[in-house]
Amino acid sequence: MAPIRLSKSVFGTLRVKPNHTLPIRQRCLYHSYEHDQPPPFPEAESSILSAAMRHVPDHGFTNAALKFGARDAGYLDVSTNLLPRGVFDLINYHLVTQRLALKDSVQFPTEGQVEGKAMGVGAKVRALTLARLRANGPIIHRWQEALAIMAQPTYAPASVAELARLADEIWFLAADTSVDSSWYTKRASLSALYAASDVFMTQDTSKDFIETEQFFDARLKDVSRMGSFMGAVGEWVGYTGHSAVNVLRSKGVRI
Amino acid sequence: MPPTMPLLRSIARIPSRQTPLPVLDFLAPRTIAIPHRQISPPSSSLSSRHHSTASTTTNSTNNTNPNSTPSPAPKYPSMRSPLTPEQSSFLDSALRVNQAGELAAVLIYASQTPPLIRAHPNLRPLMKHMYDQEAGHFQYFNALIAKHRVRPTAMYPVWHAAASVLGWGTAVMGREAAMACTEAVETEIGSHYNEQVRVLLDWAEKMEGRGEEVSAEFKGMVGELRRIRDEELEHLDHAVENDAKGARPYELLTNVIRGGCRTAIWITERV
Repeated sequence: MAPIRLSKSVFGTLRVKPNHTLPIRQRCLYHSYEHDQPPPFPEAESSILSAAMRHVPDHGFTNAALKFGARDAGYLDVSTNLLPRGVFDLINYHLVTQRLALKDSVQFPTEGQVEGKAMGVGAKVRALTLARLRANGPIIHRWQEALAIMAQPTYAPASVAELARLADEIWFLAADTSVDSSWYTKRASLSALYAASDVFMTQDTSKDFIETEQFFDARLKDVSRMGSFMGAVGEWVGYTGHSAVNVLRSKGVRI
Repeated sequence: MPPTMPLLRSIARIPSRQTPLPVLDFLAPRTIAIPHRQISPPSSSLSSRHHSTASTTTNSTNNTNPNSTPSPAPKYPSMRSPLTPEQSSFLDSALRVNQAGELAAVLIYASQTPPLIRAHPNLRPLMKHMYDQEAGHFQYFNALIAKHRVRPTAMYPVWHAAASVLGWGTAVMGREAAMACTEAVETEIGSHYNEQVRVLLDWAEKMEGRGEEVSAEFKGMVGELRRIRDEELEHLDHAVENDAKGARPYELLTNVIRGGCRTAIWITERV
């Protein structure tokens, strides 16, 4: 009897796993407000990884941290085999949980309540991005090794996808509603900005990461200047084109 | 006592027969670990680990795992079951196609209007009526995909250009060709909306079958989709009333446009 129950539970676990991890891998799907969102990690993985994160400041993003995490969570050392990608799963856990924590950690005053001007989308994006960068603060001395692992060819696609999800989350939380081509350019430029600041921050020794903030602000200014220039060019082209067509129509050309 | 005795014996036999059994307990700590821990005395080398495992398993039987406090697994007491990946990817591509379709419709009418009402000023109110309705649909879908975090199509600039050229080109060919274009486009779009309404109603029926209340989100969406479909089919009627069938190469024109629409829908569902 015991072997039957055993095999059932083993296969049950194996079967359940892909169902849980599937929604994470897919990009930007329909977001429902009235249906449950599936949890990002299965319970066992989540308890091991959250315990392992507490060992990262001492042991870095290593198998040792995973092993200690598994022990703390009450599992055997070998249970880290539950995580097929090993250390990268630990990094991914950090990225995903910090991304999902943004919506609770940064609160904007609701419109109408605050006196003076309401916060613009740009200011919201800045606040959210800096909050996300600061969330790496406690483990910043270990973050370079994490970046090195993320850059490995096997994990690079997953890392880039997670970066894109972070950019999407920030624009969404900043209440940006653009749904044309700028949807893509906005996310791409924010991803580039965030990645550059993230790398800069690993070298930052200033108090409270004030230099990272200045670096980010300088890049943000560059990007917004570039963006407004491109917008102006587009507007000029559109205006000139329309005027030309209208002038020709007024001259009797049949277009 | 008698019924439990064979069970205890069978469990007690396991560690002696298979030494690597504890390896499996991380896979299912709740079902098999508890009796195993209680019966077999902990060996000296693994004693500390056994204690910690036993403590978690007893905790997890009460459904309170202290180690998973920072885990982001929200448990809403009485929410609807999550959408399946198929459902959310269907909604994702359907809403993306709808937005792109309405973008194209707005641009087709906008670029058809000047050449058309120059030749046929009597069509001005009709064109304005159809354009205003399409602009309303476009606005609705823009708001909807921003709210539900659906990615807009990457082909946005391509559809922008293609729809403008199609509208202007058919209008220059004359009233009949412009109306044939409207007829072809609205036929495709109408059947596309019909399909979506059918799928959503099917889901709603299944949700009710499971005893869940259908979300206001879905109800609202079905209502809006029906209204929009009816308006699109009304445009189709207007086009036929205005001699769409009189376009010169009628079969060729409508079939090319309908084929183009279907290709565009196929591409937009994916990117």
